[in-house]
Amino acid sequence: MSTDIEPAGVVEDGSFFRTLVEHGSDAIISIDADSTILFANRSVERVFGYEPAELVGEPLTTVMPERFQGAHHAAIAEYIETGERTLDWNGIELPGEHKDGHEVQLSITFEEHQYEGKRVFSGIMRDITDRVERERKLERQNEQLERFAGILSHDLRDPLNTARAQVALAKNADDPTEYLDELEHIHQRMGDLIEDVLTLTKQGHTVGEPEPVSPATVAEEAWQTVGGSAATLRVEEVGVVQADRERLLSLFENLLGNAVRHAGDDVTVEVGPLSAGDGFYVADDGPGIPEADRANVFDYGFTTDDGGTGFGLNIVESIADAHGWKVDVTDSEAGGARFEFSGVRRSENGDTE
Amino acid sequence: MSTESAADGSLDHDAPVVLVVDDEANVAEAYALWLPDEYEVRTATNGEQALDAADEDVDVVLLDRHMPDLSGDEVLDRLRERGLDCRVAMVTAVDPDFDIAEMPFDTYLTKPVDQEEIQDTVENLLGLSSFGDQSRQFFAVSRKIAALEDEKRASQLEDSDTYQQLVERRDELDSELDDVVGEMDDDDLEAAFRDL
Repeated sequence: MSTDIEPAGVVEDGSFFRTLVEHGSDAIISIDADSTILFANRSVERVFGYEPAELVGEPLTTVMPERFQGAHHAAIAEYIETGERTLDWNGIELPGEHKDGHEVQLSITFEEHQYEGKRVFSGIMRDITDRVERERKLERQNEQLERFAGILSHDLRDPLNTARAQVALAKNADDPTEYLDELEHIHQRMGDLIEDVLTLTKQGHTVGEPEPVSPATVAEEAWQTVGGSAATLRVEEVGVVQADRERLLSLFENLLGNAVRHAGDDVTVEVGPLSAGDGFYVADDGPGIPEADRANVFDYGFTTDDGGTGFGLNIVESIADAHGWKVDVTDSEAGGARFEFSGVRRSENGDTE
Repeated sequence: MSTESAADGSLDHDAPVVLVVDDEANVAEAYALWLPDEYEVRTATNGEQALDAADEDVDVVLLDRHMPDLSGDEVLDRLRERGLDCRVAMVTAVDPDFDIAEMPFDTYLTKPVDQEEIQDTVENLLGLSSFGDQSRQFFAVSRKIAALEDEKRASQLEDSDTYQQLVERRDELDSELDDVVGEMDDDDLEAAFRDL
């Protein structure tokens, strides 16, 4: 900005500019050629946590992460000596360091002017931490989607190949019934897989607005869908907790369905409160989960059963995560599997809708 | 392990021998069914059976990668350790990664496969036997490149030294082959390489 041109508009005195600079939402810091801070506006407090007066007279490196300090000194020395700008002066993205030590993502525009015969360099800094975090989150989601696509294509290729084989054999057989039954089973499995992946991708790792819900009631509802006639569900009152009802239903459907599949048609499944009072458990009297597998059971695609998609427990974990619950696998009293959900927030008014 | 052979139980010594390996018996059986009757087809449903069924007579192996106990990758290594120089097609739902560059197979099929793909692959691999070592290498390297190009993004290929080396190797072999191609029958060559 050149000073010999009259500013456009009506400006009575310098206080206009002072106010503009002081109250603008961007943090402004001016330094001399030795990188000593000459001026800091009010917004530096919001961005860096320092009072402006705390910074004046201090080196600029006070608000700079250590790993950038050397590069800063080199760049400014180079510019003063040669006039060469080694980095973009307009909207460059660099992190700053907050008073409490955490990094702040900044978009910085540099200006240079003369003041009382000295060269002054100013940085106008906008806090873009939120945007950078959104970008990182998107990157993570993209990676996750890519993983999904890989798993999905792999997991559908195998049954599709088997289905083609069944068709070939059925065409060649005198009695194709056996192959057609198997084909039906394969198609069921492929359908389940698609449903599970959709559940995971559509709902992601989020939950809707939590509402007061009784896990015992929801477990009984899930049992209507997945429980067999020979299987037994025993439910102890758990109380009323804060949860997304639909997703809790999905959690129980997967967990109870898993128990029926792995522990047999005559399984007995128990749902009850944790003794610590901060959650609930689901336990069965089946064969249990071997110690060695416990670390992997929640992984995508983990299954020990040809009929399973390997997504069920992953869905369970993502629902627990989304609620902020911790899930652990252990032995049940009957030697079966026991899943414990802790860190569950109880509803304050104690009533379900 | 089972062997399908001529109706009278005797084996035609000129009949091509194909070994089909997949841990799903029905899948192995279907591949066998898809192949022409004049081939001798052996099937195996695990790695150990595959090694038992493999011998000097086997011309082509269709080999699943993901099998319990002994994987297809291990079976492939053991076949080569035994000095068996049969042509091998990996037939698998496993997405090819850059590690396939070092594996001693000839071609890579990704499931699901159909009759035409199985037939063409075996036919091509049988056809390769009449060519020299260089042509066979050219075929194998080209198939690896194709498998990786199907699976990987352009940026991943660009960043991969392994992929670049495969491409260089293919181009080398290609120019060496150009020098000798006059000696071969063009139709045969075309038949063997038509899927490239």
